[in-house]
Amino acid sequence: MPKCNKAEGHAIDYASKLLSPAEAKAFEQHLQNCSDCNKAVESFTTVLNLTDMAENAVTLPEAALQDIEMNVYKRLATTQEEPTPSRIRGFLANIESLFQWHKTVAASAFTIALITAAVLFGEFFQPKMELQLTESQSADARIEQYLQQDIQRHLEDAMITHHLRNDAWEAESHLERVKEQAQGTDWMRVAETLSVSNTTLASGKGY
Amino acid sequence: MDKLIDDEMLVAQFQAGRQNAFDELMKRYKSKIFSYLLRSVRNYEDAEDITIEVFFKAYRALGNWQPKAKFSTWLYKIAANLVIDYHRAKARHPVYALEDLEIPEENLVATDQYSNPVKGVEEKELGRIIREAVDQLSPKQKAVFILNRYEGLQLKEVAETLGMAEGTVKIHLHRAMKRLQTLLKPLWENNEF
Repeated sequence: MPKCNKAEGHAIDYASKLLSPAEAKAFEQHLQNCSDCNKAVESFTTVLNLTDMAENAVTLPEAALQDIEMNVYKRLATTQEEPTPSRIRGFLANIESLFQWHKTVAASAFTIALITAAVLFGEFFQPKMELQLTESQSADARIEQYLQQDIQRHLEDAMITHHLRNDAWEAESHLERVKEQAQGTDWMRVAETLSVSNTTLASGKGY
Repeated sequence: MDKLIDDEMLVAQFQAGRQNAFDELMKRYKSKIFSYLLRSVRNYEDAEDITIEVFFKAYRALGNWQPKAKFSTWLYKIAANLVIDYHRAKARHPVYALEDLEIPEENLVATDQYSNPVKGVEEKELGRIIREAVDQLSPKQKAVFILNRYEGLQLKEVAETLGMAEGTVKIHLHRAMKRLQTLLKPLWENNEF
């Protein structure tokens, strides 16, 4: 007995729900009298059920998703910093190198003056709580914003783990992440203070 | 930001200098692009790297983007091209891994007292076999199958994403289904699930 000529194409489209309502209705009428097509629809539906089961088990890592924006802006900042090589640029670089010594002295003097001014005005150790960003910032400003948010998120996680879950080890791990990201900033001092208090809890619990 | 603002409106805002609009676009599409890439390359780290590359390329090209097609289709197109590059690079410099895609443990943990851990392990194995069958499709068949079935793109959108005619997309989809049927038939004929 010859095989039905509709069997494969229509069965695939029907199982995949790619037929229009009118086409689906017509094919359903055909299915009532065609065992070839019935078998084909059943077979392709099973294929789709199996692949759905396997593919839907694939879950997305939340941590990686949270960092996507920051990493995109990091990538953009890195690329923007890359110099474009050219002969003119090379020539200018050679001339600039003649004045490098003067530039180093000037930059050092400026840095020392800046640090002295900051210490004198007593603003050196005030943590910056959050960057106020306008809508057209540079990629660098956005990385800084995401970094600050990330630090704050880890600090919050550390506090929650420390106070609510009473888990000193986990809290310490969050604080370590803050310390890694906050090196050279005032957040480092906050993290260290919390770390001391957390270590006291850990030793009290006999870890 | 208002959810009702459509993608193309956000692109126009970005082109007018409003950087926050790009953040919103990333927020909307990062999961979708990541899941498409994860199914395409089967490796979490590579999928993450390529997702970053997709948005990086989108950011750099968005200034000159013209709304000839949907923004999402354009984004998938960038992703699909990067997947092709990825597979080409991998073919040139193959790295052999025992199991690139590890399904997280929480999917295998018994959720109630009646759950069977052995069944969980069997399901994991079955899932691995089925995903391997999907990976045996040709690159075009796999791309068409994943974009249509798991990313919910209409055949027309798949055609735009992959730069082929709609009829060609349908041919690839049919071939993918027949290939999967051949590869997976032994599973239900041997009652392995």
